[in-house]
Amino acid sequence: MGGILSLPVLGVAVIYGITGIPNFAIGVIGVFGGFVTWYFFSSSIGLAIAIGIVVCFIIGFIIQRVLLTPISEKGGDSTLFFIITVSVGFVFEGMLRAIFPRPNISLELPRIGTMNLGGFTVEWFKIIALVFAIVTLIVIRLMEEHTEIGKSWQATSQNLKLAKLVGIKTTQVFSFASGIGCALACIGAIFWGSLYNLQLSSGWDLGFMGFIVAVVGGIGNIWGGLISALIMGMVMSFSGYLFGGEWQSVILYLIVIIVLIIAPKGILGSERSL
Amino acid sequence: MDNALLNVSGLTTCYGSICALKSIDFYAHDGEIVGIVGPNGAGKSTLLESLAGSVPISEGRIEFMGRRIDHWSVLKRRQLGLMLIPQEGNIFPLMSVKKNLEVSVILSKRDKREGFIDYVYKIFPILYERRKQIANTLSGGQQRMLAVGIGIASNARVMLIDEPSIGLAPKLVTKFFENLNKIRDDTHKTIVLSEQNIKVLNIADRLFGLEAGEIRFDEKKENLSRDVVKDLYLGSLG
Repeated sequence: MGGILSLPVLGVAVIYGITGIPNFAIGVIGVFGGFVTWYFFSSSIGLAIAIGIVVCFIIGFIIQRVLLTPISEKGGDSTLFFIITVSVGFVFEGMLRAIFPRPNISLELPRIGTMNLGGFTVEWFKIIALVFAIVTLIVIRLMEEHTEIGKSWQATSQNLKLAKLVGIKTTQVFSFASGIGCALACIGAIFWGSLYNLQLSSGWDLGFMGFIVAVVGGIGNIWGGLISALIMGMVMSFSGYLFGGEWQSVILYLIVIIVLIIAPKGILGSERSL
Repeated sequence: MDNALLNVSGLTTCYGSICALKSIDFYAHDGEIVGIVGPNGAGKSTLLESLAGSVPISEGRIEFMGRRIDHWSVLKRRQLGLMLIPQEGNIFPLMSVKKNLEVSVILSKRDKREGFIDYVYKIFPILYERRKQIANTLSGGQQRMLAVGIGIASNARVMLIDEPSIGLAPKLVTKFFENLNKIRDDTHKTIVLSEQNIKVLNIADRLFGLEAGEIRFDEKKENLSRDVVKDLYLGSLG
């Protein structure tokens, strides 16, 4: 569970870390990409996944470019961004209903079975999702050290005004970050869809859980987000195992509330940077 | 001033109904060091921010290198050669000194970049020693050097520096101004700095006196006495 959650969490963290804008539509956009993948699934699995990811990247890029960046330049606050991005989410959910008139889909990826981890059976898919998230994180870190794009991202996230003054094309950086974030959410949705199934409204679960997990980890702090995703995933599995599935979310969200009362900035603290 | 590199006329900048600048005329020639002096709240920072484009202007013209730029974005002005070093938030706090400089040369040709960074290290050797250190762990004076270093590395034709001496120990201020002078002599850049420190008289070729958003004087250094400049501050205090 934590492994799959880590991808939308990473998406949330990348977008928020760089742009400072909370995008609540990210899960719905990811699930939209999941449905796009499903649509092309019969022709070629690899191609279908690639199309889904690219579509999400483009959606994220365009939304940031034409909608969110201009609003943030005019000084939009978090409430405004909440309303706007949730509305964007409903637009995409509505489009899902219109374009894919099916309540739920399942992406039949080739099964690769389970492994035994200290007495618990864990789906390989979850492990792969987690590894994928960690590799993505390491790639981002390496890019920050060694490439101009990565350095520009980091600079933009740390000091937007100065980044503009030294000549970084911050509008492009924002759009790119938003595209990458949505693409990560799409990959998360594809993993989700192959383990469970994707419903038209799954995006809200994915997106909001991604956000909550990110906030618990320290929003914008990617390592915190990953650790938080793992812990929350385990909490869900254990509480389901001990008290039954019905109590899962009660216990999970009570823990979230308690953690945030004790540490309002999350487990590792938010520094709004990568 | 028709042949000036940077030429501003009738510049008015307002925040809501309060105007921080009221129809200012201002200019800077190529290779000059121009000081803008005046008490707190005179509009010095607003003038520099208006020139760089980080604050929208209400009225007036800004011409730079013969082109009218007053409605250009920060980035476009920067590409043409105007660079502002703000008073606060002028470093990338969680990046190393080296990386701070590396992102600042982003608009320059690749084969020139290293040279610009080396020049910053030559002017401020301490930054070379501390190049691997995270910027916000530097001392206040070193952070100020880094901020100016970012400006130098960017190789902009005009550097606008907002109160570089604020908070520096008196001995450091003298040294700092000497460095700015050296930078101008080496690179032939134009430097426009706002200041509250009287020592700016030692390096500026020309001074603008700003008070309550209006120009009080525009004089060459030779024509100004310390008393006149001091009077601008004291007058507003008294």
